[in-house]
Amino acid sequence: MHPATWFLMGAFFLPVFKRMGLMKVVLMAVPLIAFIQIQWLPQSFGQVSYLGFDLVFGRVDPLTRVFLHVFTLMALIGCIYGLHVKETGQHIAAFLYVAGSLGVTLCGDYLTLFIFWELMAVASTFLIWYRKKKRSVQAGYRYLLVHVAGGLILLAGIFLRYKNVHDLSFIRIAAQGASTADYLIMIGFMLNAAVPPIHAWLPDAYPEATVTGAVFMCAFTTKTAVYVLARAFPGFEALAILGAVMTLYGVGYAVVENDARRILAYHIVSQVGYMVCGVGIGTAMSVNGACAHAYAHIIYKALLFMGAGAVLEMTGKSKLNELGGLYKRMPWAMIFTVIGGISISGFPLTSGFISKSMIIAAAGESHRTILMLMMTLASVGTFLSVGIKLPYFIWFGKDSGVPAKEAPWNMNLGMAVAAFMCFFMGVYPEYLYKMLPFPVSYHPYTAYHLSETLQLMGFTGLGFYIMVKKLTPAPKMNLDLDWFYRKGAGVFMWIASRPVDAVNNWANQVYRTVGFRMTLAIARALSWFDWEGIDWVIDGSARGVVKGGDKLRTLMTGKIQQYIGGAVAITFIVLILVLLV
Amino acid sequence: MMKRILEVLNKHSQVLKRLFFAFLLVTVAYDFFAKRHGTHFFGDLIMGFWSVFGILGCLGMIVVCKGLSHVWLEKEEDYYDK
Repeated sequence: MHPATWFLMGAFFLPVFKRMGLMKVVLMAVPLIAFIQIQWLPQSFGQVSYLGFDLVFGRVDPLTRVFLHVFTLMALIGCIYGLHVKETGQHIAAFLYVAGSLGVTLCGDYLTLFIFWELMAVASTFLIWYRKKKRSVQAGYRYLLVHVAGGLILLAGIFLRYKNVHDLSFIRIAAQGASTADYLIMIGFMLNAAVPPIHAWLPDAYPEATVTGAVFMCAFTTKTAVYVLARAFPGFEALAILGAVMTLYGVGYAVVENDARRILAYHIVSQVGYMVCGVGIGTAMSVNGACAHAYAHIIYKALLFMGAGAVLEMTGKSKLNELGGLYKRMPWAMIFTVIGGISISGFPLTSGFISKSMIIAAAGESHRTILMLMMTLASVGTFLSVGIKLPYFIWFGKDSGVPAKEAPWNMNLGMAVAAFMCFFMGVYPEYLYKMLPFPVSYHPYTAYHLSETLQLMGFTGLGFYIMVKKLTPAPKMNLDLDWFYRKGAGVFMWIASRPVDAVNNWANQVYRTVGFRMTLAIARALSWFDWEGIDWVIDGSARGVVKGGDKLRTLMTGKIQQYIGGAVAITFIVLILVLLV
Repeated sequence: MMKRILEVLNKHSQVLKRLFFAFLLVTVAYDFFAKRHGTHFFGDLIMGFWSVFGILGCLGMIVVCKGLSHVWLEKEEDYYDK
């Protein structure tokens, strides 16, 4: 059976399980079963012929396995962390999101890929909306629109590619002779990997997501994109260069930003840059490095998001200028976040040391000295921004006097598991190396590599010590490329509102006189069915959705959420039918 | 328990500072003895190269990023709400 089926069924029946008081059991059981099941997947399964296309739902090779392994592990950690959340909808969205990501990882053709790709985009949007703040709703819409646009570019590429080669199988595309179609697909993938200049959706949306939603989001969207890039586009020069640029671009913003979760979000851009660059260099070692780094990165970045999320959950604050001195009140969250910080910086004995260095060494061995130095500089910035600045201004620095308690046990347990994995991989790299798609001959623990790392970290620390006054956070935000569509949309609205508004008013008059009465009658019939027929099955959750929906409704005018809901429901039923067969 | 350990460390911040500077000296000294292998470019042959790279990279990054932020990118938090 397809591992995504567990998550789809879990999402579908979660309201029922909640009524039976078994929600927490399901939240633990589903990712655990999937994590065990992926070890026993056959090489290929779920081939379906549909409308003359051969859809492949399951194709399993070493590249798939390493990503499946970390995705299911991450789902388990995320579910532990989110165990205390009572709102069923958040868990459903997270499950659908994980299912989409597993579906993309396993699929063997572009059509299946596209379906799961869109499922991911829609499900993750709900993880932002469930925060239910005005900013989150707006950020969620921008997130969705950007991803829909990216999905359309991807779809255009898929159609053009089908026209060119009459084959939809999702396989490696050779760098020589790649056509426009292939580049369109690549752009679609690059949008999800947050490659500048199409990266601004990420630091825009992730800081506005729910506490647990951000933990899921930081793991799946970008790393699924790394997987599809590694599958289809290894050895593309554009990826190598853009990846190295990304590492510096992301870390540059992380140095100046103020919101803890926005710093971490920018830092995803930087870290995914290493993976994109590794894929772009395209040697066995660099692709190995990209996979290893994706694995290690998912765990420690989730750990950092969990730590910042715990602070947000307990204090309601995530801006560095409002925090400080929390080590007295949340010592465990501090320990775990610092472990995440040193792992991401690549300290010896942590997972960053054995994964990031592999990509940098691969760049060196392919004589890409400039890329190598760019990535090394980015790792200096990493230690500066996430390794020192973030923990310093949250847990040490000037005491803000913000009242706080330790986070609930399940949040700390989720962080503890992730922190353990960071050290485990650092001490025992073979665990990770033997999962990689190519044989590994790289040894991270050499005298020179240790010397290089200790010097870089030590002297970055000295730099922070000298400049700490300059880095004091202030309540400001920094412009990024989302300016173009956020300000541009205003201009567009102003131009469009006049003529469009006039037509709309006229149409409204017609509608009011003709259609209004009929619609009212239908609506009355439907609402009777809704309250009487459906609600006794899942009344708690339905009323919950109504409440959440009311909040959303005050903030928007269209009925997009209903259309999306309908579309997801239909996709969902089709998928369950297909996958269960 | 954790809190007490941290408070003790906090009290002896001067000692920590000295330990940190000693650590920096040790890392540079260690670089003279670390065996080079598979050198990729000239920097790998210079003793203490990564120390210089680290401190200059760190300071440079703070100056450039903070500078760009101050003169150009930095806006009030409600910039987009207006």
